[in-house]
Amino acid sequence: MLFHEIYGSYYAAVAAILRDAVRGTLTEKKMYEHIREHAFGESQMVIPDGMKGEKWRLIHKDGITPIQKEPYRPLTLLEKRWMKAVLLDPRIRLFDPDVSGLQDVDPLFTPDMVIFYDRYQDGDDYSDPDYIRNFRTIVQALRDGRDISVTYQTKSNSERKVRVSPYYLEYSEKDDRFRLIAGGWKRRLTLNLAKIISCEVVEHTGEMMPLKKPETSSVTFELEDRRNALERVLLHFSHLEKETVQLEDDRYLVTLRYDRQDETEMLIRILSFGPMIKVTEPDSFVDQIRERIEKQKEFAFFR
Amino acid sequence: MAYSELIKKSEKIRMYLRSFYVYGFRHRDDFTQKSARSYDNERRRVDSWLGEYMSFGQDRNGRRVFLSVNSRDITVNPLYNAFRAKSFTDRDITLHFHIMDILRDSEGMNLNDILNELSGRLVEFDSPDIPDESTVRRKLKEYEELGLVRSEKTGREKLYSLSKDEPDLASWDAAAAFFSESGVLGVLGSFIMDRIPGRFRQFRFKHHYILNALDSEILSRILPAISEKRLITVDSGKSRWTALPLKLYVGTQTGRQYVLLYNPANQKFSLRRTDLMDTVKVGDRIDCPEGLDERLEEFCSHIWGVNINNASKLDHIEMTIYAGEDEPFIPQRLKREKRCGTVTQIDATHWLFSADVYYAIEMLPWLRTFTGRITDLRCSDESVTERFWNDFQELDRIYGGDGDAVS
Repeated sequence: MLFHEIYGSYYAAVAAILRDAVRGTLTEKKMYEHIREHAFGESQMVIPDGMKGEKWRLIHKDGITPIQKEPYRPLTLLEKRWMKAVLLDPRIRLFDPDVSGLQDVDPLFTPDMVIFYDRYQDGDDYSDPDYIRNFRTIVQALRDGRDISVTYQTKSNSERKVRVSPYYLEYSEKDDRFRLIAGGWKRRLTLNLAKIISCEVVEHTGEMMPLKKPETSSVTFELEDRRNALERVLLHFSHLEKETVQLEDDRYLVTLRYDRQDETEMLIRILSFGPMIKVTEPDSFVDQIRERIEKQKEFAFFR
Repeated sequence: MAYSELIKKSEKIRMYLRSFYVYGFRHRDDFTQKSARSYDNERRRVDSWLGEYMSFGQDRNGRRVFLSVNSRDITVNPLYNAFRAKSFTDRDITLHFHIMDILRDSEGMNLNDILNELSGRLVEFDSPDIPDESTVRRKLKEYEELGLVRSEKTGREKLYSLSKDEPDLASWDAAAAFFSESGVLGVLGSFIMDRIPGRFRQFRFKHHYILNALDSEILSRILPAISEKRLITVDSGKSRWTALPLKLYVGTQTGRQYVLLYNPANQKFSLRRTDLMDTVKVGDRIDCPEGLDERLEEFCSHIWGVNINNASKLDHIEMTIYAGEDEPFIPQRLKREKRCGTVTQIDATHWLFSADVYYAIEMLPWLRTFTGRITDLRCSDESVTERFWNDFQELDRIYGGDGDAVS
C-alpha cells in the first residue's frame, strides 16, 4: 500500500524528535525545528500536542521517553521492489548502489512494461564505459565541490579542453540525455555528456567559478479551447512557470516563462498546436511564426 | 469533523492539486463539484503542504489560487508531499514506534511478550489505554504485509522480528535522487531518500512532468497486475470497465500517462489515461490467448499517438521536407523524433518521412512543427491532409495573412 502513514511527514518528524529524546538532547526549540524540517505548515499546531500532551504516549510530560533505541524502520517490501525495478533500468550503470538484501525480491515492474512513446530516439548510450566513467567523475566532483577539467567535442567536431566548476547534472526526459551545467570563464556552460570525451577532477585552487543565472524570456498567447486544446496545451506546458487567465468562456490568456536558449524549441512546440494558439507577445516571437508561415506559403502547393 | 491537514484517501485531493497546478485560472466558485467549505479545506491543505509554491492572482472574477513551479528549478517533486499526508489514529502512531522499538534487537518475540513489554511502557502514562491482543496482532499482520515485520512459527508459537537484509542506503543517495524524479513511481524513491542523511541534490530535470506523481497509487496497483497478468477493474468517473493491462505508456511531451489494455471480450487493444482513473481493483489472473505477444508487438510498432481504441485500419502517410545542405539538424530531427516509419533522402535538399500508423490524424501536432519546410504531404486518409491545410490557412489568417491559395 503506497498511501500509508509510515511514509508520512508526521512519522518522519516524530522519529527525529524521538531520536533527540533517546539521546537526551531534546529541547522545545529542537522539536519545532524537526517539525519544520519534516512536516507541513500547520503541523506545529498538532505534533507538539501529540508528543508533549502524551496523546501518542511516546514521550512523558517531563521529556523522558520509554523508547529505548533511536527510531528505525526497515524498508517496506514496496520500497525494495521499486529498488529492484530500478536495478533493471539501463541508466543504473551510471551508479553503483549496494544490492544486498534485494536478491530474492521481485521487481515492481520491468523495463519492457514501460514505453516512453514520444521520447527521442538518439538518447545517450548508458552502456559506453567512457560515458559511465565521465558521469561518475562528475558526480564525485559535485559531491566534493571540486572543479573538473573537461575535454569535449565542439559543434564543429573539434576538441576543446576547459576547466569548469560543475553545479549540477540536468536530465531531459524527452531527449533522454544528460547535460552538465557548469560555471566557467564568467559564462554559464551547458555541455552534453555524450560530447564529453574525458574529464578529471583538478587540484582545488580556491573558490568555484560562479554560475550565471540562465536568461529567461516569456511568451504570451491566446488560447481557444477547441478540440480539447485547453487541457492539451496546459498539460503540455505544465512543467514551465506559467499563469493562465480566462478571458471568455472558451478563450484564455497564457503566459509562459522559459530559458532563452530554448526559444526555437518553444517556437515549434507552439506551432504544433496550430491555430488553437495565437501568440500576442513579444513581437519578436510573433515575427518568427510569421516567417515560418511565409516560408511555408512559398512552397507551391498551399491550397 | 474537525479540519486536519492530513487526509484519509488521496483521490479527492488529486482533483484540486491538478486544477491548481495545470489550470490555475479557476476561482473558488468554479469548484462546483464540492461545497465551498470543501474547497476551503482542500485549498488550505495544499497551502500547508506546498506553501512555497502557491501563488495568487486577481482578475475581474475574483481571486485565483495556483501552483506555479518551473520543474527545471527543483530537485524534488513537491507533489510527493501529498503522499506524506496520510491520516492515522493516536493508537497507530503509538503502536508503530513502540513495536519498532520493542522488536529492534530481538531475534523473535511472541505476541504475549510484545504485549507485556508494551503494557509496561504505556501504563506509566496518565491515560494508559492498553491496546488489546487482537489490536496488536492486527498491527503486526499489517506490518508483515508491508514487509516491516516477519514472523516465524516455532512449534505452536509465532515469533515476530523486524525484517532484516537491506542494502546500504548511503550507496543509493545519487541513484535514489535520480530515479525518484525520472523513474516510474518515483515517489517510492523519495521515501527512500527521506531515510538517507546528506542526500545528493545535484540533479535537475528538464521537460519534467511532475503531475504524473499524482497517479502513483493507481500505478502501484496496475504495474504488479501487468507482471502477474491479472485483470483490473477501474472506476473512472461514472464508468466502470475491466481489462487486462499490458504496458504503461508514458508521454515525455504531453504530461500524460496511459495504460495499454487488452479487452478479452472483444479481443481489441485500447489505451486509457491514468489520471482519469479514480480507483483500481486488481482481479483474477487470466491465461492470455495464444499469439497475444506477437499481436501486441505488431500493434505497438504502428502506434504514433494514444487515440488507438479498437483501431484496425492503418493509414499510410508521407511528408517531404526541405532542408538546406547546411542544415543537417533538420533530417536529424526527423530521424530522432519519428516514433515509427522511415526517413529517406530524396535529393540534396529533400527528405521523405513515411509511415503506416493507426489514426494518422494524431500526427498533426508533430507535422506542424515542420511548418515552413513541408514541400509535400500525402495520406491515405485524405481528411488528415485536409485538416492540416485548413488549420494552416487559419493559422495564416490569425497572423494577418489572407489564408488563401498560393499555388
